[in-house]
Amino acid sequence: MSSSVSSPDKPRTVTGKVFALSDRAIAWLFISPTILLLLAINIFPLVWTIYLSFTNYRANQPGRAIRWVGTRNYERLLGNEDIWGYLQATAHFVLWTMLLQVVIGFGLALLINRNFKGASFWTTVILIPMMLSPAVVGVFWTYIYQPQTGIFSYIVNFFADVGPLDMIGSVDLAPWSIIIVDTWMWTPYIMLLCLAGLRSIPDYLYEAAEIDRANAWQKFFYITLPRVMPFLMLAVLFRGIENFKMFDMVVELTSGGPGSTTEVASINLKREAFEKWRTGYSSAFAIILFVTVFGLSNIYVKALNKVKQ
Amino acid sequence: MSRVVLNNVTRNFGAIEAVKDLSMTINDGEFVVLLGPTGAGKTTTLRLIAGLEKPDRGTVEIAGTDVTAMAPTRRDVAFVFQQYSLYPHYTVFDNMAFPLRAPGRNLTPEQIKKRVHEIAELLRIESKLENRATQLSGGEMQRVSIGRALVRQPEIFLMDEPLSSLDAKLREDLRVELKRIQRELNATILYVTHDQLEAMTMADRIGVLSSGKLVQLDEPRKVYETPSNIYAAMRLGSPQINILDASSLKDTDLPANTHSVGVRPEDIVLGSANGTLAKVLTVEHLGVETVILMESEGRNIRAMLGGDAPLAEGDETSFAIREGSAICFDRQGEIIS
Ligand SMILES: Nc1ncnc2c1ncn2[C@@H]1O[C@H](COP(=O)(O)OP(=O)(O)OP(=O)(O)O)[C@@H](O)[C@H]1O
Ligand SMILES: [Mg+2]
Repeated sequence: MSSSVSSPDKPRTVTGKVFALSDRAIAWLFISPTILLLLAINIFPLVWTIYLSFTNYRANQPGRAIRWVGTRNYERLLGNEDIWGYLQATAHFVLWTMLLQVVIGFGLALLINRNFKGASFWTTVILIPMMLSPAVVGVFWTYIYQPQTGIFSYIVNFFADVGPLDMIGSVDLAPWSIIIVDTWMWTPYIMLLCLAGLRSIPDYLYEAAEIDRANAWQKFFYITLPRVMPFLMLAVLFRGIENFKMFDMVVELTSGGPGSTTEVASINLKREAFEKWRTGYSSAFAIILFVTVFGLSNIYVKALNKVKQ
Repeated sequence: MSRVVLNNVTRNFGAIEAVKDLSMTINDGEFVVLLGPTGAGKTTTLRLIAGLEKPDRGTVEIAGTDVTAMAPTRRDVAFVFQQYSLYPHYTVFDNMAFPLRAPGRNLTPEQIKKRVHEIAELLRIESKLENRATQLSGGEMQRVSIGRALVRQPEIFLMDEPLSSLDAKLREDLRVELKRIQRELNATILYVTHDQLEAMTMADRIGVLSSGKLVQLDEPRKVYETPSNIYAAMRLGSPQINILDASSLKDTDLPANTHSVGVRPEDIVLGSANGTLAKVLTVEHLGVETVILMESEGRNIRAMLGGDAPLAEGDETSFAIREGSAICFDRQGEIIS
């Protein structure tokens, strides 16, 4: 059939025939909306923020002339002891939440994976916290943490007689109060991904190990852990980044207090940017946070890829 | 190494009877091959001995102990799985060393290393020892899987089609090698295969399974020459045995209750003067021998001749049955002795 053979100087695709466009042009036509959107809502703000971080711009005084200040914002930031405090609070929050959630989440997944009677019911129950809004969670945990009437204090006192427990008001306990809430809320997420990993392990591997007379630990380290690790690490990556920027739940629960014990980076950033209106300075802080998260997650993804292969 | 005894073992999966009232003894140092079509219950039988399945009825004995209720860990068997089952995140070396590192074995790292290298050399995977288990071809995985069993000295080796994904050359080499190892260690092996050449050459005894039932358990020559029924006769021999109606045969010195007769293709004589007429359908030259498919009175008949037979498709010929070579079966398909 002569019509099915295309001549080399004519475009080959149907659209190409209709609009007389080359394949390459059509490709661009399809991806350009995405690229434009990306430029508009991701790349431009990023570049603009980088620019602002070198100025003394204040967003509440739009009329004022913008002055280039060089690296002064960065120098101030890195020389500021408080900033290190906020970053420390953030790191404390991220590390502990991840550690607790991995241990508890993996443990729960191992339990649920035993497929006991009612396992799917319990899975659903465990997943509920994850589906709530962080702000709502923050608010109702303030009631749970209420020293006199809250159930948390009641339960702790049931086991150990320590008197009314002011989780949110105490300098020592406040950082743990947000860790507990985040763990309560997001452990199900880690569990869910671990469960996906566990379900992907074929029975015959365990059978082979059984024949080889392996004990429970060997089965865990040779079969279970390597298979679940990629899933677990992915979950930790997602949650770690989220927790690095944790804002809503903490604001509702402690608003960074008492003092600034739970003032994680994002809360301080919001204060500087939208309460003190130091836009240039807070832009610099945002860039530092961005570079940190970006760098850390890149290293992490490298490790993840190594585990995966 | 030691004796393994199955006593009236039955295993059902819902309505499917995978293994039916199976009794067999595998003697110390014996190489027993299980033959049977897919779904016959070969894998299930191995799994019952390993303890990966529990029998619904019957008992399993290993080395004189009733192990029916024992977990696989306590039975001391080695299993080469049909689907390899390597630990995917570890190297070939670690995979093969795994059974040696089991608790209670107390081997030094040097001993483990030596043993693994010995076996790896034997199976020709020494150069792959540092590869991860996922970076292997199917045939290599299969050999690692065999290696993981061979590093041990269990009561019995259970091997489920261990050579099935190797090329012909390697398969032949390993077949010889396995047989040699078995003799050397005086190992007890229960071996599943579809390959009758493997069955004939390696087995001390062959067990023929048919839908979960053990039809015959005998030395290879015996199974070949006096199959206990038509089914067993069909399992061994390539090309397949000819099954002919007794009524259609001229020579009538057969037992009275003979219903059908089995004749091996090599026992068909062509061009005999007073034979039955037949038309040649296909001629396959296999090198040493030639396989001829003929049609006679609506039945297909296979014959095997030595060397190059001077026949072509479409030729008319006549055939007869070599004297005394007919195997007689009764109406139920059982052999008449
Ligand atoms: N776990 C199981 N659940 C249900 N049915 C099963 C199970 N394992 C095996 N069967 C059934 O039992 C029968 C025997 O299976 P088995 O695996 O022993 O066959 P096989 O002889 O090893 O076949 P093949 O040569 O294909 O490996 C089959 O009909 C199979 O479908
Ligand atoms: Mg099988």
